[in-house]
Formats: sequence, structure tokens, C-alpha cells
Amino acid sequence: MSLAIETRDLVKTYKTRSGQTHVVDRLNLRVEPGEIFGFLGPNGAGKTTTIKILLGIIYQTSGQAFVLGKEAGDIQVHRQISYLPEKPYYYEHMTGLEIMQFYASLFGIKDTEHCKRLLNRVNLGNDMNRPISQYSKGMQQRVGLAQSLLNDPQLLFLDEPTGGLDPIAHIEIRDLILQFRDEGKTVFISSHELSDVERICDRVAIINKGEVVAQGALETLLVGGRIEVTANGCPAELADRMRDGHNVVSLNQGRLIVDMPDDKNPNDVVTAVQSAGGEIVSVIPRRKRLEDLFLEAVSGDDKAKGRQTISMLGSGGNDAVANGQAAPAKTQDTKGDNP
Amino acid sequence: MSAILSIAKTTLGEAIRRRVLLVILLIGVLFLVIAPGLEALSPRQEATVLRALTLGVIQLTSAVIAIVLTVYLIPNEIERRTIYTILSKPVLRWQFLVGKYLGAVFALGLMMALMTATMLLVFAVMKGQTSVDQLGGLARVPVMFFVQMSLLAAVAVFFSTFVTPVVNFFLSGGVYLVGSVFNSLFEAFADPSRGDINPVARALATVVQVIVPNFQNFNVQNSAINPGQVIQGELSYTIGLIGYALFYIAILLIAGILIFDRREV
Repeated sequence: MSLAIETRDLVKTYKTRSGQTHVVDRLNLRVEPGEIFGFLGPNGAGKTTTIKILLGIIYQTSGQAFVLGKEAGDIQVHRQISYLPEKPYYYEHMTGLEIMQFYASLFGIKDTEHCKRLLNRVNLGNDMNRPISQYSKGMQQRVGLAQSLLNDPQLLFLDEPTGGLDPIAHIEIRDLILQFRDEGKTVFISSHELSDVERICDRVAIINKGEVVAQGALETLLVGGRIEVTANGCPAELADRMRDGHNVVSLNQGRLIVDMPDDKNPNDVVTAVQSAGGEIVSVIPRRKRLEDLFLEAVSGDDKAKGRQTISMLGSGGNDAVANGQAAPAKTQDTKGDNP
Repeated sequence: MSAILSIAKTTLGEAIRRRVLLVILLIGVLFLVIAPGLEALSPRQEATVLRALTLGVIQLTSAVIAIVLTVYLIPNEIERRTIYTILSKPVLRWQFLVGKYLGAVFALGLMMALMTATMLLVFAVMKGQTSVDQLGGLARVPVMFFVQMSLLAAVAVFFSTFVTPVVNFFLSGGVYLVGSVFNSLFEAFADPSRGDINPVARALATVVQVIVPNFQNFNVQNSAINPGQVIQGELSYTIGLIGYALFYIAILLIAGILIFDRREV
């Protein structure tokens, strides 16, 4: 059975005034049939560009891209795939049902009952005759998912499917995606919602500046753990000192949180805090999260290539968040991800 | 074919709800309604002036609608990302472009039909012209205008595959002016029998004459405005004009498709 998605040294460059910009740089992806694959990366990493190449909307500069065993853009493949873009827009004068009928007609499907069934499946049965302009963001996203099921696709491309949704809509969409896998569909998700990805994806690829910096099964990539040390009454100089090494450090009104790999000795941090006059609140071991992997992979890659480290996730309300890690530039599991 | 018609239908549905087009249409219809009051300004024969005025209003309004309607056809789809959902379905780019064009032409036809009906109503109610001959003579002029505007829409669709809407507005408007108002001027410059024309200017005028569609040919209102005037061999002339328009439309759409097919959207 052929792979659902495969790219081989995929490159996309754009000409700019200062020369050429590599948006996608020798990207190698392998997505197995029937899995939920998370495609992650910071803004501008090249995720949407890659999806557009896979859909045949734009063309690669070099390399190869295959979808369901055929070259990306093959019109026959489009009968077996579907796409939900980030922040989808629909013709606002149409109702939910009319939108479905429109997209169905592009496949030559004239079955209105089929459209209604799908709208019912995404809980829009009672709203299908209302104009899209009256739909909430979550409802529009659900219409997007319903239209992406019209052709009973083997492969779904979902670009930020839960972006900007409230918690209930989040859970609903997440459950729907899990149902797709149960039905044997392959789901390719590009998302910034790392907690969602961690809950539903089988494997992930993290890209940074167009290159894969980590790829593999989550269970393999998330081995190891972290230790979180929390202390009160800490000065800013201490936080700066803690940023050396492999730690993620945040400081908010004297409350210091140091997040470190579990192979490091937390006593060093505890001693440093006490010497600086701070008070230890807790030392909690925890398992490694996708967020940690993301930070390690992206900032490690940036450091290895001498780029400025990005400020990233989970920093709400903090005075400062920094990751001083020097993680390996690339992380791969051994499940044959490297073609 | 189903995909093309679906895209055309959706485009039509969107176009007839666009406020800017409805405002332009409303202004046109208002002018048609008040036109009988304006004829007193001219010392010429009342009916002649009214016919010239109303047909002129229809032509000008239709030209503005044709350009405003089509310059945003493709850029809007890209900006709102609706094009991605459509092109990820089994829809080829040429089908998308042709569907958008046909939708625009349907919308244009609908709006022109409304203006024509208003004009006929004005003549019937305010001027008492109720004979089929009189009204039919008037109605066939907007039909040729429709063919002319369909050609203009194809020009705008062609440009919309590679320029921004604002640039397109001026480009398409310029092409329309060169092909209609200034056509006689370019014809005179391109005339090989005239020895007083600079050869370079003549060559340039000839190139413009070949490339730019001759919109002037579709202005058949003289025979309707001045009842004494007739078009010799009107049927064959009309068929020839429609063929000419279809030829140009096909060329423009094919050129647009070739550009759009490789365009990064």
C-alpha cells in the first residue's frame, strides 16, 4: 500500500529583493495511511506552503511530492482528498446547505440528503437553512469539516482546524477528527494547538524555516521527562543565571519557574534559589509534553544555525520566558521516517 | 461542465448582491427614468434626443458595471481563500476561470436586461410608443451592447489573472476607450493611404488596431436613434459581430487561462 503523503527533498523558493528565500527546504515527509499526522512549526515555518504544494495549488521549485501514490496536483487524486483551510471563508449569501450543495456539485454529487446527513453529523442540522453570515466561527469551522467529507475522502488536510475556537467547539472538532481515523481516513493536521495535536496525533513532524527538525511517533519522541521547580521571592539576576543550559525559565513578580530535563539535578536549582534568598514552593517531576519537544526542536535548530531563538508557547503573563537549550538540531525516531 | 455551471451560478449570486454594483445599477435606472425630463434641454427633435440619451446611459452604466464586476473576480477569491477550497476539489483552473467569467456575464446580462426593460417602459408609458416595431428597434441595441460588454468583461478577466484590481480598472477602461471612443483616431493614423503620418506612429496605430478589439463596431444605436438610417445586411452584420466578439473572448480567456494555470495563488 502506498504512503498517503510522501515528499522527497521538496524545495520551494521565492525570489525577493535580497535574493531567494527558501520557504520549504529539502523537506522529507512520510505519512502512513490511516494515521493522524501532526504538522507543526512556528509561524512562517512553511506549513501552509507545503500543504498548498501537496494540493497542487502552488508548485515546488524542486523535489517531489506524492499524494496517495500520485504526483501532487493530479486531478484524480483530488477526488479522494479534501482540504479545510485556515480561517475558511464561505460565500456569505448562501446557507449552510447551499454551501454544501455547491461543493458537492464540484464533485458531480447532486444528493441533497447526503449534504444534510453531513451537516447533521457536525451538529448543524438545525441551522442548515440559515445564511453563513449568521454562523459563529465554530459553526463555520463545522461547515468546513462537513464539506471536507462530501467525497468520503481517504485523506484530509486540516489547516488549523481548532484555531480560535471555544473549548466546547475544540472538543467537538477533536472528536470528529478521531472519528475520521476510526473510519480509516488519513488526517494531516497543521496546527499551533499543541495540546490538541498531542491528544489526537499518532505521529508528528516539526518544521522550522522550511526544514524538518523532528519527525516520528509521539510515543517515541516524547520519551524522558521534565522537572519543574517553582520558587517565590527570586531576583531577576537569578532567572538570568538559570537560563544557561537546558532550562525553560519564567519569572513573574518574583515567582520563578524553572523547567528542566529530568537528567539534570534539581538540587542545583534549589541551592541557587536558597542562596539568592528565595523560597522553594515545589519540585515536581512530570512527563515530557509536545510543547517541550517543540521548544527543544525549534530553538535547538535556531541555535545550531545561529538564528535568534523565538519566544514561544505557554508564556502568558510571564515577565520573561526563555529557553537556553542546545538541543540537537534534528530529532527523528527510528520508525523509518527518513526515506 | 457541472463544476463550471456551479461556479458560474455562485458568481452570479454574489454579483447581484454586491452593493457597489447595485448602486451603479440604481443610478443608471434613475437616469433612465428621469431622462424624459432632460430632453427639454436640447433643441433637437425630442424622441431622437431621448433615444440617444437612454441608450447612452445604458451603455455607460453597463461598461462601468462590466469592469467593476470583473476586476475583483479572481483577486477576491484569492484574498478570501475561497479559491483554495475550490481548487482542492476536482476542478481545473480553466474550469474555475471560465465559470467565474460566465457568472459575471450572466450577472451583467441580468442587470442590462433590467435597464433595457426600464427604458422600454419609459418609452411605452411616457412617450406612448407601444408598437412592437418601435420597441423592438430600441431593444436590439442593448443586445449588441451586451455582446460588447461581454467582450469588455473578457478583457478585464484576462487582466485580473495577473494585475491588481485598481490597475485592472484603468487597463480595462483604457482598452475600452481605445477600442471605442478613440478607435477612429487610431484608424486614421493606421491608414496607409495617408502620406502625412509618421511611419512609426502608423506602425504603432496598426499594432493597437490589431490587438485591441474594435468596440466601436457594436455601437449600432444610430439606426435606432435616427429612424431613417438602416444597417445594410443587418442580420449578417450582427452574426459577424457576434462571431468577432466570440473569437476575441476565446483568445482572451485562453490567454488568461495560460497565465492563471501557472500562477501561484
